[in-house]
Amino acid sequence: METGIRVLLLTAALMALPGCASVRNWFHHRSEVRQAQAEAKEEAAQQDAQDAQQDADATPPRVVEPEVERRKIKVPKIRSSNVEIGLQYGFISIEDFGTQSTYGLNAAYHVTEDFFFLGEYGRAYAGRTSFETLGGNIQLLTSAERQFTYYDLSLGYNLLPGEAFIGRGIALTSAFYFLGGIGATKFAGDDRFTVNFGGGYRVLPADWLAIHIQVQDHVFRTDLLGVSKLTNNMEATIGTTVYF
Amino acid sequence: MPQPGNPCDACVAPFAAGNAAHVRKTAAGRFSNGLAILLCLLVLATPAVSREKEYLQVFVTAPYLELRSGPGRGFPVFNVAERNESVRVLYRRTDWFKVRTEKGVEGWAAQRDMLRTVLADGTPFKFDLGDRAGFTSHNFEMGVFAGDYGGATLVSGYGSYSLNSQLAVELAVGQFLGKFDNGVTGDLGFTHVLVPEWRISPFLMLGTGLVHVSPKATLVEPSDRTEQTAYVGGGLRFYLTRRFFLRAEYKSHVVFTNRNANEKVDEWKLGFAFFF
Repeated sequence: METGIRVLLLTAALMALPGCASVRNWFHHRSEVRQAQAEAKEEAAQQDAQDAQQDADATPPRVVEPEVERRKIKVPKIRSSNVEIGLQYGFISIEDFGTQSTYGLNAAYHVTEDFFFLGEYGRAYAGRTSFETLGGNIQLLTSAERQFTYYDLSLGYNLLPGEAFIGRGIALTSAFYFLGGIGATKFAGDDRFTVNFGGGYRVLPADWLAIHIQVQDHVFRTDLLGVSKLTNNMEATIGTTVYF
Repeated sequence: MPQPGNPCDACVAPFAAGNAAHVRKTAAGRFSNGLAILLCLLVLATPAVSREKEYLQVFVTAPYLELRSGPGRGFPVFNVAERNESVRVLYRRTDWFKVRTEKGVEGWAAQRDMLRTVLADGTPFKFDLGDRAGFTSHNFEMGVFAGDYGGATLVSGYGSYSLNSQLAVELAVGQFLGKFDNGVTGDLGFTHVLVPEWRISPFLMLGTGLVHVSPKATLVEPSDRTEQTAYVGGGLRFYLTRRFFLRAEYKSHVVFTNRNANEKVDEWKLGFAFFF
């Protein structure tokens, strides 16, 4: 069990490290503490001397004790509103399997005013290929295998932030954004590494609510129809999200 | 106990009444229950922006505080709060603060302008800036990785909570997609950053996890299996700008199988992460 021993040794070494880190300034720390103690003693001695002097002065007691109450500031925590969660619905063109409706969930975290991370999960049900339609009773995939499920983790960039106007009096915050990311697609009984990229338009009717129109391509390699090829699966969705 | 005036009381009421009187399951009853559920969902889904509560009051010390119409550098300045005026800080989105002036005007103020405001006792208004100092010491991290897990392509994400500037608890979840098998991994462990102050900063990892492997059907061993793992690893974090950093890491996993020998799996990955 050579590997086991190696892991054990590494474990011991790693466990020791945080401890080492915490005692990194140990010697220095002790001298600091001693210095602080000496200072405190000195101050106390000075204070005693002052008190003794004041007692000697023997000032008469005050008639009215001033009651000045310091205003205490309680600092309420400021809420962050960087998370956006929502639903989307639209169409996806599954290469060779026709265009179908798709629906999904998404969540985003806005890191800066320009960049955000986006996670998406979506489903669709693939239709029949032309071959199946023309060939009569041929079924390439079972019903379960036609379930098209994907997720992706993307980085987004707000390329064109701005305002959209409705009439004379209403201005809504908006942005065109680019997206690119990686993920996986489950289709035809197999999971495939998928790259996604696209863009969208986001408009905010209120500061906590957004409406998105988004177009993305999900690209993955498949050998489902005999030859290995890259497939492009274009998706167009409309969605609504709420900021938290 | 629900608070008086809690909007969910109204939603709970129809259920309570329904249970007490064993109400007939009429279409109207079902509709009202459905409506109540919908209302509850809406109340839950609506963020607390509109709820009246105590907001932080800060005072402007600069000649004026610019208020923009949106949380971005390009949005127009439509109003200002003058020196010694106070504003209420409603909430924050990225580097922008939504504030309300004494006159009731709401707008977005930039982080750098908010640094020039003070609290009622005259102390400066301090908040998390999301800069290099934040890279050294922060509460949370999240990121996305692409890499290689024992020869398979790996997609993974992680989140971590810092116990102090050096030690963090980390959860990583990944999916690997290979020629012979697919699967998912989940790891929970500690990450120890050796020198958090450095821009390129090394770290070590130690933890345990689970791996679920689904071999592709053409192989000899077609059944799925879930096994426990332990890992040690290390990597580098490279601070980019603002709240972003790159992270490259290597993990050596030992998979505790119920066969004669344990398996060893190497995981290499490179990712993009942020802290907050």
